[in-house]
Amino acid sequence: MTDSTPVFQARGVEKAFPGVMALSGVDITLHPGSIHALLGENGAGKSTLIKMITGVHQPTAGTLTLDGKQVSFASPRDATVSGVGVVHQERNLFPRFSVAENIHLEQLAGAYLKPINYRALNDAARPWLKALDLDIDPSTLVSELSVARMQLVEIAKALSLQSRVLLLDEPTASLTSSETDRLFTILRRLRDSGTSLVFVSHKLEEVQEICDRVTVLRDGANACDSQPMEGVGRQDLVRMMIGRAEGTASWRARDTTTHPEVLGLTNVSTALGHKDINLSVRKGEVVGLYGLVGAGRTELAKAIMGKFTITGGTVRINGTPVTITNVAAAIHHHGLGYISEDRKNEGLILQHSVLANVGVPIWRKLTRQFSTLFDRDIRTAALPYLQKLEVKTPSLSQTVANLSGGNQQKISVAKWLAASVQFLIVDEPSVGIDIKTKAYLHELLRDLADQGTAILVISSDMPEIIALADRIKVMDDYRIMGEIINTGVYDDIAPAIMNLIHDSVAPAA
Amino acid sequence: MIQLSRLSRTDWFGPLLATILAIITIRAFSENFLSLFNIQILLLAIAVNALVAYSQMIIIAIGQMNLSVGAIGGLAAISFVGMIEVWGLPTPIAVILALTIGVGCGVINGVLIRITGISAFVITLATLSIYKGINMGITEAQPFYGVPDSVKAFGVALVLGPIPWLLVPTALVAVGLWFMLSRMPVGRFILAVGSNEHAAGLSGISVNATVIIAHALSGLLAGIAGVLVVARLQIGQPSIGDDWLILSFAAPVIGGAILAGGHVSVSATFLGVVIVAIITQALVLFNIDPFLVQVVLGGLILAAVGLNKLRARRPIGRGE
Amino acid sequence: MTMQDSMLPSGPNASRNTTHFFLSNEFGLILLIIIFAIIFGVTANGFLSEFNLFTLGRNSAVNIMIGLSMMTVIVTGGLNLAVGAMGVSVAMTCGWLIEGVGLPWPIAILGALAFGAALGFINGGMVVRTGLHSFIITLATMSIFFGSMIFLTRAESFRELPSVFSTFGRMKFGGYLSPLLLVTMIVALALAWLYRRTLTGREMLAAGASPAAAELSGIRVDRIIILCHMLSGVLAGIAALMLVARNGAAIPSMAGQLGQDWLLPAFLGPVLGGTLLQGGKVSVLGTVLGAFLVTMLSSGLMMLQVGAFWVQTFLGLMLLVAVLLDKARRSYLARRNLA
Repeated sequence: MTDSTPVFQARGVEKAFPGVMALSGVDITLHPGSIHALLGENGAGKSTLIKMITGVHQPTAGTLTLDGKQVSFASPRDATVSGVGVVHQERNLFPRFSVAENIHLEQLAGAYLKPINYRALNDAARPWLKALDLDIDPSTLVSELSVARMQLVEIAKALSLQSRVLLLDEPTASLTSSETDRLFTILRRLRDSGTSLVFVSHKLEEVQEICDRVTVLRDGANACDSQPMEGVGRQDLVRMMIGRAEGTASWRARDTTTHPEVLGLTNVSTALGHKDINLSVRKGEVVGLYGLVGAGRTELAKAIMGKFTITGGTVRINGTPVTITNVAAAIHHHGLGYISEDRKNEGLILQHSVLANVGVPIWRKLTRQFSTLFDRDIRTAALPYLQKLEVKTPSLSQTVANLSGGNQQKISVAKWLAASVQFLIVDEPSVGIDIKTKAYLHELLRDLADQGTAILVISSDMPEIIALADRIKVMDDYRIMGEIINTGVYDDIAPAIMNLIHDSVAPAA
Repeated sequence: MIQLSRLSRTDWFGPLLATILAIITIRAFSENFLSLFNIQILLLAIAVNALVAYSQMIIIAIGQMNLSVGAIGGLAAISFVGMIEVWGLPTPIAVILALTIGVGCGVINGVLIRITGISAFVITLATLSIYKGINMGITEAQPFYGVPDSVKAFGVALVLGPIPWLLVPTALVAVGLWFMLSRMPVGRFILAVGSNEHAAGLSGISVNATVIIAHALSGLLAGIAGVLVVARLQIGQPSIGDDWLILSFAAPVIGGAILAGGHVSVSATFLGVVIVAIITQALVLFNIDPFLVQVVLGGLILAAVGLNKLRARRPIGRGE
Repeated sequence: MTMQDSMLPSGPNASRNTTHFFLSNEFGLILLIIIFAIIFGVTANGFLSEFNLFTLGRNSAVNIMIGLSMMTVIVTGGLNLAVGAMGVSVAMTCGWLIEGVGLPWPIAILGALAFGAALGFINGGMVVRTGLHSFIITLATMSIFFGSMIFLTRAESFRELPSVFSTFGRMKFGGYLSPLLLVTMIVALALAWLYRRTLTGREMLAAGASPAAAELSGIRVDRIIILCHMLSGVLAGIAALMLVARNGAAIPSMAGQLGQDWLLPAFLGPVLGGTLLQGGKVSVLGTVLGAFLVTMLSSGLMMLQVGAFWVQTFLGLMLLVAVLLDKARRSYLARRNLA
């Protein structure tokens, strides 16, 4: 990793959207033979910068240079052709085409009518597959590959286009730990052969493991610019990302051992593959459910809510075994609530107004005879909660899509407060939220618990779970790996959690 | 057994079994069924219906739908005869012009869809009315009778045994479509756009060009179907195409097409056409009300899409 | 927000912003209706005659009802291609109940409408059970319903209906107002009330806008979708019965082959009226105005000797222009919202 001439540079890049300055003068320098981490909280400008680099948007000011020459990308295609490859979070492959065809589809774009020589195509694909340790026949259909291998095919495709820069957006999001290890081996090999890689991830442990340089964005500007990773610890990274140290001082002990159980799962299995799930949440207690993406936490939550079938074991509400057949029954008969991790698609109806969103769970309660339901009744019932959460909106009839992420999240919380649930599942509460709102929501959840609501917090953010929970259940691969009584001391609890996960047998890849 | 499971994953295996089963069953009940005359009637029906099915299939491939297939066919049909009868054009020129009209209508569809970004459903619903309206405006609901003898002869002539000449263009089209979709870039682009439009654009495919080409092709096939119907019916009937809508979806869907796009089968669609034709003929043979064909078609569509959905349930990315 | 909102006039579901949005659409339609009424009144002889206004009222009553029938399904984000087939089936059932079974006409009408609801139940039930798009389901059922109906009736009309039907069709209030139009207005008002002020209607809008979010907020989305389809069946049935009143007989071909003839008016009303095809938003007033405008334009054009055959072309063009304008208007508003 000698300091060679940079292959790509962004200098003073600005991006203004109507009403908001997403980037206000950002720099990044990419060297060949390097794995460069790009970090930033949601809303820091990370994805905007990625869109600049990959040609989705053009900067409103500042320069981009490739190999010393100033460039401007009119489209993503333009960027690809100039040598900036990208592997997105969502797959951009054609499942019913072969691996070779997926890799080389570009080459065919010139001649519409010339018959394809599949043999030559397969031969051309082989070297790229070999370089990535992909031991598959190039004529295999992509639909028959595992997610990890599909990702490698996309990398092969980017490489075959002579990409000088390869940007990987959250590449390990859907990989098991052994698949991640394999990917890292490949990335290191690519680095050693001179490719310049950009690794975008929110998993700080991985960033520390594999990256040699780091750029952190905060509030649309550099918190650090292309700094070598040597000597940079996790706390340094966090401090750069959020502007202050990660605090867990806010945890406080809560004694709920004498409280009655509100929700209890014993030996529960679900149609989705959960087995032997034991879980108990008492009145006024906050139980954390920690796990990585793909562990099955959201699926369990939805099964509790009645969306997926419970195939075995007992579910008890306030001590009585129940069978919950659909979500409406869970909400209206049993007083359960669920704040979804997918705020935009499941938590809120974006195209409707604040008023139309906040009252949905209590509509039935507010209905008068002949099914009439007046706006003023909804307003009266819901307004106090919107005020309590300090939701900022010009009016109750404002379309939710026009509000900020933080306010949207507040509305999706207010909805359940208004419904006075006895048990609330909170799924990834602070994804895409700014720091202030995050702290606010944590306070709110604590208050709720203090007033008697039983809360289950699902999170893959360790500091968050350690700050909030009384007890932490660890989940991996649709099983409960264990339970930890929380003391609030990060350095004790975090390793305990990690141990429970790494002890589990990773599925064969 | 492994062979069987691989066969069952192809699109044509099921329809083929169904066809054979249908033939055997019907033959058992009616000896007339496989007479040379009947086969000829069957093939005449298949010749036209296959083109109608292919016209829609190409649009299903890009993940859209074309409600104006019948209207384009009808317009091409009456234009064909009209140009000969009223303008006195020689037949070959009229054929070419009629097909050009088909292509033109298709191009209009494609261009409107791409420029406006509005769903193909609404656009082709609108153009369906426009093309049908032009048809009605020109013909004033009266057929054109001036079909030249050469065309009439083509409509009934046999090329070999019971095989009518009418089937020849269709067979050529089928082979051409198969080759295009499996071996030519333009065909692969059509499937790519239907499979994942975003990824197709990122791979350097011109989505606009591909969509317009697909619609142009659809219009062309509808036009050919219209001209062939004229040859078979021996008049230029303004109502040609009115009943194409259901059939145009039934056959591709029976043939395993995925309505979301990216997957169609030329051979299986053809078998779908065959099945429909056989069932229709069987109903006639057994003196069952021909309107029951509609019911059967509807039922077949439901069964086929249901089956396709179950087959596609095999989760993507779980393989090794 | 807290202080100001309590001082805001309590408006309906529409906000300041969205009021303007809708207002611009419905208002535009009213404007167009007035403009074209004036144009036709001046250029087409007899356009504003009592007789023509009566005919216009009667025809638009049917078209509006057809549009409303499609609208209730569009709200769910789906499509109902079978409106024509369902409508005709209801009408023929009514005819059969009267002539074949001998029921008194009020019972026959109720029975027939119940049958329409049952057809809608089939559609909705299949959409919900199979998860397939309503396009292909209703494409198939369009064929099945129509084919079964023709088969069962042997394609014969019912012409010996009690005179109450044709009397109802020919009645004129004040010389030009058809009671059919009154029926339509009552139904439209009921629908507007449904979507604005009832639990069921609000749940329909929520389920149509985002089924996932609606379900997780406690709405029984499956039931709601089936209900929407059933409502569509009933409304299609009412439209067909109106046609029976107008024609004085129940004719199987009243909606064209497979009921296809109803498809264009079924979409024109809602689309012109601003009901979005992706679901979740509805404008009953817009559908009414849109369908009325279309009927008026067709009538006016025919009086101007444009020729019945070219009117269909014109309607197709109208649909095209309408969706284009609607799209342009929404993207303009969207850009203004962001600014």
